Amino acid sequence: MSTLDELRERALAAIADAHDLDALDQVRVTFTGKRSEFAGVQATMRDLDAEDRKALGQQLNAFRAAFQDAFDARQRALGEAALAARLESERLDLTLPPRRLPPGRPHLLTQVEEEMLSVFIGMGFRVAEGPEAEAGAYNFDLLNIEPDHPARQEMDTIYVDGYEDVVLRTHTSPVQARVMTTQAPPIAVVVPGRTYRADAVDATHSPVFSQIEGLYVDEGVTMADLRGTLLAFARALFGADRDIRLRPSFFPFTEPSAEVDVSFHGPGGHHGWLEILGAGMVDPNVLEMCGIDPERYSGFAFGIGIERVAMLRHGVRDIRELFEADVRFLARF
Amino acid sequence: MKLPLSWLKDLVEFDLDVEELVEVMSHSGLEVEEVTTPGAGAAGIRTARVLHWEPHPDADKLRFVRVTGDGGDGEVEVVCGAANFEVGDVVAHALPGGHVPGVTGPDGAKGMDLSSRKIRGLTSHGMLASPKELELGEDAGGILVLPPDTPLGSSLDDLIPVGEPVIEIAVQADRGDHLSVLGVARDLAAILDTTWRAPEVPDRPSGPSIPVQLRTDGCASFHTWVLEDVTIGGSPLWLRQRLTQSGMRPIDVVVDVTNLVMLELGQPLHAFDLDRIGGPSLTVREADDGERLVTLDDVERTLAAGDLVIDDADHPISLAGVMGGLDTEVVADTRRVLLEAAVWEPATIRRTSRRLGLVSEASMRFERAVDPAGAARAVARAADLLVSLGSAAATGSDVVATEPAPAWSQRPSVRLDPARVRRTLAVDLADEVQVALLERAGAIVGPASEASAPDGAGSADAAGSAAGYLDVTPPTWRRDLGRQADLTEEIARLHGYDNIPDHLPSLPTTGGLTPSQRAERTARDLALAGGFHEAKTRPFVGARALAGVLPSEGRVLLANPLAQDAAAMRPSLLEGLLQAVRHNHGQGRPGVALTELGRCFRPVDDPLGTALDAVIGPGWRWTDPAGAPIPLQPRVLALAAQGRKLGEGWLDTEATWSVWDVLDVLDRVARRLAPPDDPTWRLERHAITREGFHPGRTAALVLQGQEIGVVGQLHPEEADRRDLPEPVVAGELLLEPFLAVTPEAGHRPVSARTLVRHPAMTVDVALVADDEVTYATLERTVRLAVGPLLDELWFFDEYRGEQVGEGRRSVAMRLRLQDPARQLTDADAEAVIESVATAAEGIGATLRR
Repeated sequence: MSTLDELRERALAAIADAHDLDALDQVRVTFTGKRSEFAGVQATMRDLDAEDRKALGQQLNAFRAAFQDAFDARQRALGEAALAARLESERLDLTLPPRRLPPGRPHLLTQVEEEMLSVFIGMGFRVAEGPEAEAGAYNFDLLNIEPDHPARQEMDTIYVDGYEDVVLRTHTSPVQARVMTTQAPPIAVVVPGRTYRADAVDATHSPVFSQIEGLYVDEGVTMADLRGTLLAFARALFGADRDIRLRPSFFPFTEPSAEVDVSFHGPGGHHGWLEILGAGMVDPNVLEMCGIDPERYSGFAFGIGIERVAMLRHGVRDIRELFEADVRFLARF
Repeated sequence: MKLPLSWLKDLVEFDLDVEELVEVMSHSGLEVEEVTTPGAGAAGIRTARVLHWEPHPDADKLRFVRVTGDGGDGEVEVVCGAANFEVGDVVAHALPGGHVPGVTGPDGAKGMDLSSRKIRGLTSHGMLASPKELELGEDAGGILVLPPDTPLGSSLDDLIPVGEPVIEIAVQADRGDHLSVLGVARDLAAILDTTWRAPEVPDRPSGPSIPVQLRTDGCASFHTWVLEDVTIGGSPLWLRQRLTQSGMRPIDVVVDVTNLVMLELGQPLHAFDLDRIGGPSLTVREADDGERLVTLDDVERTLAAGDLVIDDADHPISLAGVMGGLDTEVVADTRRVLLEAAVWEPATIRRTSRRLGLVSEASMRFERAVDPAGAARAVARAADLLVSLGSAAATGSDVVATEPAPAWSQRPSVRLDPARVRRTLAVDLADEVQVALLERAGAIVGPASEASAPDGAGSADAAGSAAGYLDVTPPTWRRDLGRQADLTEEIARLHGYDNIPDHLPSLPTTGGLTPSQRAERTARDLALAGGFHEAKTRPFVGARALAGVLPSEGRVLLANPLAQDAAAMRPSLLEGLLQAVRHNHGQGRPGVALTELGRCFRPVDDPLGTALDAVIGPGWRWTDPAGAPIPLQPRVLALAAQGRKLGEGWLDTEATWSVWDVLDVLDRVARRLAPPDDPTWRLERHAITREGFHPGRTAALVLQGQEIGVVGQLHPEEADRRDLPEPVVAGELLLEPFLAVTPEAGHRPVSARTLVRHPAMTVDVALVADDEVTYATLERTVRLAVGPLLDELWFFDEYRGEQVGEGRRSVAMRLRLQDPARQLTDADAEAVIESVATAAEGIGATLRR
């Protein structure tokens, strides 16, 4: 066996023995580097005659080719193994919770309010707003609620001290008056906002609650328009299979007036009605006091309790939970 | 108003079971609140006479009683704990095997089954029942003693409709006529298109009554009957039952009958002891200021001008329409009674009742208006009942009325345009149908005459305008039918609201939110994006509330607050949010971050108002219709956080909520909502000290020189006072400036910037300066020094230590440089660094090389 053959045996064995890329590179240096045995054999070329040099040259080339093939193969194998090991070491349990802060949730009442508003906006209503500490003139007088009217006492008003006639608004209806005294028909607005009553806090009462008021005033507005608007609203919010029912009622600022129920299908085929809002045709006195000619224009108005709808739809049993700001409640919706 | 079914059936014809009736009522403006069945379950009760009683030999408080047996014959022995009966009295005997509903057993179960059982050695066969045990009253102190002529041995069921349904309705504010059984019966007749009948009453006796003078328009008519030979005793069973069913307490037969007639006919009555009336005549007049009267409830009332009184020529003896006087009250030995029924002006009674805080069954009815034509029938009905019960003899009567009838007692006719009714209801109701419906309600309807007084429509050109119109005279008991709109509702109601079609109108307006309304939602969304949950808190505060933005002593106080700690409207949103934070901490939550968007409240002259005016003018203030200011109530975005940052199922044990988190949201809101590219709308931060806040970690958010927000960490003592572990951070920003500056059409569009295609160059600079030099100053200096080449600037490090010296710090920033026209070179970087170095010296800082 020639020196080169023996060298090749050893080199190939060393390549096979190399267990990582660093060791493999060391093998390359050892067997083919400047001070390697191979370099020593190569250096003898100088002293050979042409024929022997040619022969040795062929042997050297063969050695180099064999070495390179084995080296490349081993390098590939080791590279793949290293990558596989890295990938294995980088394994993540993606069922762990992501380490980031999730966004907060809008309050349930906000969600329900925005959903209701978007239904009315889609019909062509704009959104109007007004103050919560409100002039009695807007909250009562311009809505046909005279100072001595029994309805005024029934409203359990909270009064603001130090002003002649300022109250915490008992409904969002005063914004009707604000809009009608400043804009000409056609008027179509919905008014979301907070309202107040001197009610002690319990599971079904809150001194603070919120409403969405609706108002449409134009020539020739009818009670059928009111019914159609509320039916479309009830179906958008509660489901296409719902119906509504109007029952005669009394509000000082509408005539005719109605309580409006929406149908529901309970468990076991139980069918019933739930009261969700009050509505009616705007009382001609209100139109007139707000500077709109009741002979020419008519209109309808309605008021929806946002808490009531939210509680009905989401099964909230205690109204206090809406105002407690317990994160377990807030994050639920 | 509570309506016993049998009573309704006495007055109106219908053939419906209770469920059907309730459905019809609820559907037609008689809103049913509840149906109860007081007395239901009573069984084996019959009337008996007490034959003998003696004290129980072994118990001081018990009596051993013998009463008549079944059928009124024989004897039965009963042990009884009451002492309010004598031999000969008629009582209610609950037999063994029977049941009384009105007791609650020791186990809390309602009702009791009866048997024969030994009580202290003597056998009691059933019991003698109290009104409460039979649910015929609240009285549990003694047994029920019935009038002596009550038939004996009769089962209770045969005497009264035991346990019949009682329907309670909510009475609408404009339907005073529903405050009587007759009123509801009349309305049911209209709804069901059937007939009603009022009780028959006798003609009034022709004998004399006490002379009466009416000296006020507040009384339309005054009816009196004189009753002699009066015996004051208990009321018969049926009368007791109806009063009890209606929620009233039986007292004596005279009072009970006046109450019964009030409930039945809606006309309050009063019974005076005629022998205790001082003068020879009565005067109905306005009270003098300061006059005094002791009312039936034994309270001395101080009257005011405008109150109405009945005076017996000596002194006031009754507060008209509200409550009678104590010293003319009917008592046990009363022998002569003056029954009175009068028609009082609603507004007057309402004022008196409100001023005195005295609401009686009478005032409640008068203030909602009684039927001005109903008083005569009512007083006759009461007299007739007392006579037929053998309690009195009617000897005289009188009526005086104000002539002409005062306007408030009249029910003028209303002109109705049937075509307009059709248009409003969108229902094709022929004129005849409308007429028929109104006639069902008791109105008199005829074609409009040109002479009749029109209501609104056509008053200017009355002549010739009557064609096609109707004149409708409402029944006297319907004060609510005074206008065309009222008649429209009545027609719709009786025709049925269900018959109104539905039509979705196509509105002539475009819907949507204004840019300002969208901006408000954006502000909230940014707070949510920062990890804060939206809270809604009650906007009331007590005396102690953390000061927020622009603190002042000014409070919007409530005249009738619900509680001491809710005496004022919140001047800032922080107090409510911090209490909510505390609530969550109390629930064992390791950390919480909350936001709220709502209004804060300040007096009109509060400094907060001046600050906002300086930025946006006074347009954000609200006024009453006359232009007078009402309290300030600007919208605020507030945030509060405490403790650890919590992910969903992940807790960072290192990270806590910090003042930076609050600052980040508010700053982001300000930048997003401000007019684009307008340096005057950039928010500045000024270090401040504020009560309750950490002196070194609090900043005012300043816009155009005015504080409009505050951000900070709570002072350790403040956190401790709230029992909250540190750090607690909070902040709020007035949104009003940003909402006001958002135009109706939105901000002008942001214009695009050409993207520079040449590669960017990055240069880091570090400036060393005294701690007093704020980062804002350093950054501004660098920006100015670099000039137009600066594309972006990032703060990335702050260093304190030996290398920079005590009281100093090094602040590092990374600059991204670009030139749209060319590629930058090292020379450009050198030039930038040199100009930063020079500028730094200008503010007492040095560039760290």
